[in-house]
Amino acid sequence: MNEEKDQLPVVEGIFTWPSDEPKLIGSRCPICGSVQFPRSNVCNNPDCDHSKGTEEILLSTEGTLYSYTIHAYDLRPPFDYHKAPYAIGAVELPEGIIVVARLTTVDNKRLKIGMRVKLKVDKLFDDGEKIYVTYFFEPVEE
Amino acid sequence: MSESAIVSTAITDWTEAGKIVPSPIDMLASVAIEALNRAKIRPRDIDAIITNTTALPFNDASFITISAQHFAHRLAEKIGSHGVHCINVCAACASGAIALATADAMIKAGLVKTVLVGGVDNSPRGFYYQGPSILDPDLAVSYPHKVVGITNPSYWAMWARRRAYEMGHSIEDIKELMALVKEIQSQYGVLNPHARYKKLFTKKEVLDSPLVCDPLHLYMISSVSTGAGAAVIMDMEKAEKITDKPVKIAASTVGSVVYGEPSPRLVYFATSGGKKAKKPFTEWRKPIEAAYKQAGITAEDVDILECHDTSCFHTINWIDQAMGWEREETDKLIRKRQIRHNGELPVNLSGGTSSFGEAVMCQAFVMINELFQQLRGEAGERQTTKKAKIGLCTAYGAYGSYGAIIFEKSW
Repeated sequence: MNEEKDQLPVVEGIFTWPSDEPKLIGSRCPICGSVQFPRSNVCNNPDCDHSKGTEEILLSTEGTLYSYTIHAYDLRPPFDYHKAPYAIGAVELPEGIIVVARLTTVDNKRLKIGMRVKLKVDKLFDDGEKIYVTYFFEPVEE
Repeated sequence: MSESAIVSTAITDWTEAGKIVPSPIDMLASVAIEALNRAKIRPRDIDAIITNTTALPFNDASFITISAQHFAHRLAEKIGSHGVHCINVCAACASGAIALATADAMIKAGLVKTVLVGGVDNSPRGFYYQGPSILDPDLAVSYPHKVVGITNPSYWAMWARRRAYEMGHSIEDIKELMALVKEIQSQYGVLNPHARYKKLFTKKEVLDSPLVCDPLHLYMISSVSTGAGAAVIMDMEKAEKITDKPVKIAASTVGSVVYGEPSPRLVYFATSGGKKAKKPFTEWRKPIEAAYKQAGITAEDVDILECHDTSCFHTINWIDQAMGWEREETDKLIRKRQIRHNGELPVNLSGGTSSFGEAVMCQAFVMINELFQQLRGEAGERQTTKKAKIGLCTAYGAYGSYGAIIFEKSW
């Protein structure tokens, strides 16, 4: 991608940007270790004593594909920049949570449940003035 | 503790979503009066009104129609009231079931004797967007569409693919199973005068319909509709004076998010973490298991099931969860067409959401109405040939909302 100064995250606070190695922003409870994405101000473990607030953490950039689907329809406005076909995956991270994400490929032959995938921030759309980026996971070629 | 029973139900015809005539409150009032008339009671006899809310008109992400959050109060004003308890329930697609569970709990606690439960919705068309509202910019649920482009059917498609994967089946296998569910349920939609889609679908037509999000094809996904329903719930002693066929509410439970649920939950970015449950869909199962316990029954006692099928995958998954079988048993049951009215476990003889389209917040009234009619032997051509004594209704919705109700023939 070029002209990085004009590249904006589609929503602030989801992943680190600008960054050479962008990561998803989550939170962890210092008491029980429960991890959340996106970050939350309180722990979500019902057995935790909630005696301390959560800490912001950056999540692992590699995970395993839990499942996926390929969307054959565009979304309607205001989200019509999600142009079909596009792929969505559920990715299991080493932190023990599954996050939903865009996938970089819609090629069914390249996608397989259980495969390794890694995070990539890339262009989602541009409105003529600015480029908006979001997070994707892409297959790790082995 | 008192027992409670349904003494009457009524639903409107389910029609295309997005039309403003008649107005939702008029629809709700008409169907409520119909239910009261069937019970031969007047608004004066009601102690409480419990309805769902809705988010009409839903065409602006930051706009919520305040009046549509207060149907119970508006209905009380519209049909006449002496100061009844008014409660508005908001639990996405599970709202109707939870409204009924609330009525059941109030009666069993001895707080009230007669409750009018009702609901109406005129659902937004197309893929649902959760927000964000400018005053509720919650990162966890308000932005998945914007950031990832995920829709409700995307979650369902991923669940379906995962089920096939875990069973070692091909994606074609689960597609074919979902298409068969549609074919079977459409046979009952044709027989239900209130269903919006009175059309027989063949498995081939379903598989030939456009792909929406692989493996879900268009005809495997419920459309959205407009509709309204109502039911009169009473303390059993009182109910027995009104009708000789009161349908006992043997159990009603409300479910919600479970920490450690391993399946990605509708509208959230991520699962909740913690120690994972061994099997997915704990959240779906938990209120059902609680209902079995409350009613003192097991899955084997369930004669007939009405389940919330916003896609054909849901019907399959509900059978998995309600019966507690190995999943292969569910597949066999469906492939042998044993979910028909004369089968081992009749499922969605109403025609299901598949044949109605979903009037989201009040969809449970289709299921409640069907089980009421089936257990009383009043379902006409859809009537099960089983000597059905116990019916289970299961509902689920976005944000982690679930409800289960067990109805029992008590005469």
